[in-house]
Amino acid sequence: MSLVGTAVRGVQTNWVRLRPLGAAVAVVVLAALVLPATRDRLLRYPLSTAGFILVVLGVIAFWAIPSDLTKRMRKNPLSVAGFLLIVFFVAVAVLAPILAPPPSSSRNAYLIPQEGFASDPRPPQARHPFGTTEGQYDLYYGIIWGTRTAFRVSLVVIAISVAVGLVLGGISGYYGGRIDELVMRVTDIFLAFPGLVLAVVVVAVLGRSLDNVMIAIAIVNWPVYARLLRGDILGVRSRDFVEAARAMGGSDIRIIFKHVIPNSIYPFLVFGSLDVGLIVLTAAALSFLGLGAEVGYADWGMLINLSRNWILGAPGNPFAYWYVVIFPGLAIFLFVLGWNLLGDAFRDILDPRLRGSG
Amino acid sequence: MATYIGRRFVLLPLVAFGVTLLIFALLQFLAPEMRAAAFITNPNQLNALPAIIEKYGLNKPIHIQYYNWLREVFRGNLGWSQTARQPVAQAIGAFFPATLELTLYSFIPIMIIGVWMGTAAAVNRDKLIDHVSRVFSISFRSLPSFVWGLLILMILYGRLNWFPPGRLSLEGDLFVRSGEFRFYTHLMTVDALLNGKLWLFWDSLRHLMGPVLTLTMISIALLVRVTRSSMLEVLRQDYVRTARAKGLDEDVVINVHARKNALIPVITLSSLTFVGLLGGVVITETIFNFPGIGRWGAFAAQQLDIPGVTGFAMFVAGLTVLGNLAADILYAYFDPRVRLQ
Amino acid sequence: MNWRQRVMALVVLILAFSLVGLTGIAQGQAVKNPDTLVLVRFGDPESLDPAYAYDTASSEIFLWHVYESLIFFNGGSTGSFVPMLATEVPSVANGGISRDGKTYTFKIRPNVKFHDGTTMTAEDVKYSLLRFMFMDRDGGPSWILLAPILGADVTRDDKGALNTALFTQANNAIKASGNTLSITLKEPYAAFLSIMAQWSMTVNKKWAISRGDWNGTAAGLAALNNPAKPEDTKLFAQGNGTGPFKLVQWDRQGRQVILERNTNYWRAPAKLNRVIYRVVEDFGPRRLMLQQGDADIVSVNRPEQSQVTGVPGVRIVDNLPQLVVTGIYMNLKIDVAGGNPDVGSGRLDGNGVPPDFFADVNVRRGVAYAFDYATAIRDCNRSAAAVNKGPIPQGMFGYNPNQAWFTTDRTRAEAAFREARGGQIWNSGFKFTVAFNSGNTTRQCMAQVLKSNLEALNPKFKVDVRGVTWAQYLSLYRQSKLAMWIIGWAADYPDPDNFVTPFMHSTGTYAKAQGYNRPEVDKLIQDARNETDTAKRRAIYYNLMKIAYEDPITLYLQPTGFITMRTWVRGWYNNPAFFGPYVYPISKSGG
Repeated sequence: MSLVGTAVRGVQTNWVRLRPLGAAVAVVVLAALVLPATRDRLLRYPLSTAGFILVVLGVIAFWAIPSDLTKRMRKNPLSVAGFLLIVFFVAVAVLAPILAPPPSSSRNAYLIPQEGFASDPRPPQARHPFGTTEGQYDLYYGIIWGTRTAFRVSLVVIAISVAVGLVLGGISGYYGGRIDELVMRVTDIFLAFPGLVLAVVVVAVLGRSLDNVMIAIAIVNWPVYARLLRGDILGVRSRDFVEAARAMGGSDIRIIFKHVIPNSIYPFLVFGSLDVGLIVLTAAALSFLGLGAEVGYADWGMLINLSRNWILGAPGNPFAYWYVVIFPGLAIFLFVLGWNLLGDAFRDILDPRLRGSG
Repeated sequence: MATYIGRRFVLLPLVAFGVTLLIFALLQFLAPEMRAAAFITNPNQLNALPAIIEKYGLNKPIHIQYYNWLREVFRGNLGWSQTARQPVAQAIGAFFPATLELTLYSFIPIMIIGVWMGTAAAVNRDKLIDHVSRVFSISFRSLPSFVWGLLILMILYGRLNWFPPGRLSLEGDLFVRSGEFRFYTHLMTVDALLNGKLWLFWDSLRHLMGPVLTLTMISIALLVRVTRSSMLEVLRQDYVRTARAKGLDEDVVINVHARKNALIPVITLSSLTFVGLLGGVVITETIFNFPGIGRWGAFAAQQLDIPGVTGFAMFVAGLTVLGNLAADILYAYFDPRVRLQ
Repeated sequence: MNWRQRVMALVVLILAFSLVGLTGIAQGQAVKNPDTLVLVRFGDPESLDPAYAYDTASSEIFLWHVYESLIFFNGGSTGSFVPMLATEVPSVANGGISRDGKTYTFKIRPNVKFHDGTTMTAEDVKYSLLRFMFMDRDGGPSWILLAPILGADVTRDDKGALNTALFTQANNAIKASGNTLSITLKEPYAAFLSIMAQWSMTVNKKWAISRGDWNGTAAGLAALNNPAKPEDTKLFAQGNGTGPFKLVQWDRQGRQVILERNTNYWRAPAKLNRVIYRVVEDFGPRRLMLQQGDADIVSVNRPEQSQVTGVPGVRIVDNLPQLVVTGIYMNLKIDVAGGNPDVGSGRLDGNGVPPDFFADVNVRRGVAYAFDYATAIRDCNRSAAAVNKGPIPQGMFGYNPNQAWFTTDRTRAEAAFREARGGQIWNSGFKFTVAFNSGNTTRQCMAQVLKSNLEALNPKFKVDVRGVTWAQYLSLYRQSKLAMWIIGWAADYPDPDNFVTPFMHSTGTYAKAQGYNRPEVDKLIQDARNETDTAKRRAIYYNLMKIAYEDPITLYLQPTGFITMRTWVRGWYNNPAFFGPYVYPISKSGG
């Protein structure tokens, strides 16, 4: 409740600055509701529409609420750029069924519709604004829905890695001693294994599917989070307030949740944002090696792997198939760039050692 | 300090074997027929599937297979790699020098450019140079490496014929395979010079440039970032302020006083980068058809060439541990604060 | 260093960088390496030992280049032969083939020298044949000679013990004296000459023995039989034959095999001095090497064809008949033990199929009529394929061009499905998965065409398409878990028996996995093997084709091939039986 109150107050105080933004959003929403083409789509997918409105409100609230974080971010144009990119992609992901409605006969919206089966890509045209890949997969559809896949893959992987890392790192850091040694050796083993090759082995063993790709990348990723959390806990553990809490009889779990984790959130934010980029690139690398999402699934890595043979263009015209590379490439590039900029900015902002004049 | 290093050395075989344990644990999920994939490669051989499974004991429980493998390793036999068409130990010996050479040649520009850009960014914090260099280095890290590799291949080989794929040209290759060439280090550029053949040196250098360029592009981001934050921290320190107050030239302040200390984490990162390069050149090597260990490792993993993958993983894991150890030692050496702990 | 100096340094660095590259500036389009042929493939050979290797990447290197066979194919024909290491092609007319069709007598060419200068005799041929048969490694080609000569498929019993009686039998079956070699088969086999053309590769016996290879006696068999790994055989990476090229080196680190001209060849020496087979997996660099002239002949897959069309200096020869058949297989007895994701619910409830779904011939006929062959051929194969009326490839002996076959006929497809199980299938619908080996976009495309065809018949028909890795395929294949899958078959030798057996014999590679077992079909196939009268033999194969139509278990397509090479490559010609380009007549000139 207090958050809502703060938000409302924030909007009130910053109303002048937010007015043009609010007006723009209102115009867009009204237009979408009035024009028959978009209205149909909006109404058919109410969840997406609602989600989009929530996103817009969330962004406005984020900037409206006065906080140290937003103040610092505003000073740094790169972080604003990163933020805008991410918000853009979130919006696209939420609005996916409206921007690229799946054909009525499709059982799985993530399978890109094909117009025929011819092997050579076709350039952008009316029905295919971004052109088609080999096999006639619609690039526009693939990229829009691929946004959802990108978010899903990275968030699932991070969720798994953080969960495992939290548990193991938490135990290790908190209890120390032999348990710590054991967990550290296990993470050593995972970290010593060349990451991509480990992921390849996992997918080769489990079978080729997007779910297994996520599991594979999570298996490679979790040790870093474990180490991160362990380091934080080690740092926090000896602090006075933890001693005090323990003296007061607080249980270990409570201490971890109430004291340790909130104080170690920031490095996670930094690392997590940087990690998203790495995860998307690793998934693309697995697609390159033939172990990623199946061909035809809406996944940027899959699309850019399909473009591999066409990067060299046609004889005499090296850029004949530019669209097959540029569009998925741009999508990956901007997505990863956005998260990298954001993570970099977070690091700058949140790293206590770097505060103060430079 | 010595005990610390000693302890870490003891861990090396533990980690290396732990890695193999991990692989075999993963293989638990494989049906015996899938384990035969490395031996049966085309439909005409399908009828032999049961016989192959029997012959190589692929249907034995995984811990028995691991035990057999371990026993062979202690006899000095790392097994046969179906994908390399040679014994695993020989494959490692054959492929590693190429990757080592590639890594060495990439490492230098990565360090130089990375540190240079990171320093420039730190010194000019929040100015244009800072933003440009950061966006620049991050951008290279925002596209899959094979896209960069293919673009470089297309432009610098396809259009300009500067940097061909492979390790040597046809003439170079034939000369090296003939009896006249003596191998010393197995690093082609070095050996070419030691054999006194300048043209061969240029030839191998040309072939290195494509993958080196690709690797450099995708690897500098981390170095730029670490250098920058490290420099930033150092520049705030008292002794830097003192040096400035003394009226020293800014250049001297940065280069003599600040950089030395800022480079401490960079040095440790360098050995980690080095090791990371070794393990992570898979895709670059595939695109440029460079006969290195990364390409072979990934191929073996895809084909489920179990001895190959295990041998490769063990080897790289060992190198990684050594690299980490080197990083720690360097860190301790250069940072007296750590040493005195 | 101030800013200006830094920029200067950067400029110098870039210049130095470029300078390194400039030293190799393009040379224009004159013939590169005029006496060396460079072929680039995407797979490594497994072994250069002719008794061990059973993959085209290996065979294309040494077959007829390093080692030669007794007879050879006449030009581009797969049915007529010319002498090679024999002086004439045995036939009934010249007494080379006995009346009962069981004994083949070859007159060995005199004064043919091996690569080390020694003379080849019939004893070398006998040694090579016995070595080929008794190496018998699991997954190897030895059965190709074992079956006709000894009537056995393996030399070991169930427990893995070597059956030495077979060796005695073989020793009596193959007789070599001076320059005459005679082989007596267990039963007449009309395909034997084709087998001889490809699998009678002759190695230098004395040289092999001196290198520690099998000594030719029964005592040495144990060491020869079933080597544990490819390197265990002595001819793995070295060789000595009579061919127009000598094996110089197999550089496994650089992934290339180097052959050199044999100046003592019994015919005119090859025009090329050197032949190099290289492996480059990725298509990008392969294509660029071709463009730059660093490669003369490269492997290109059908979907990549447009990328090499129109490149200056590159020639494509298309529509090459090849002895390859692609099949869409239906499994009559799907194994569902332990779960099977490809059959959905496993019941006929609209969300799955029961294990015997394809046992009903109407279902199979429905699929055969529903498939849009034209679209699959046009879009998935770039129109470079044809419907095959059964397992025997078109143009081969035994193929009946007048055999009725399935066409795309939606009405008939519907009718067949409606009749299946008394209408049950039409009413409840079904759902199953078609599998293909992932990475093969041609087969994926065909699977998707079939999916859209079946789903268009009835909204309750649901088909999924799934790519499986080779490892997964092995597992699913062995357990008969695939419901429907697409994969090809390449001939071991150009004879219809090599096609009907895997596709229709109950022990055949595919028929077995499909649960197809008809004793009368097995008998027909066996009869055709032993039949020596050409007309009668043809009639049996025609009969088998008819059965393949009346009781269809597989849809067949025959893709044609194409070769991509530089225009300066001369003298190449095609024979569907070749595993790779025949290099002996090739030269480079012109540009």
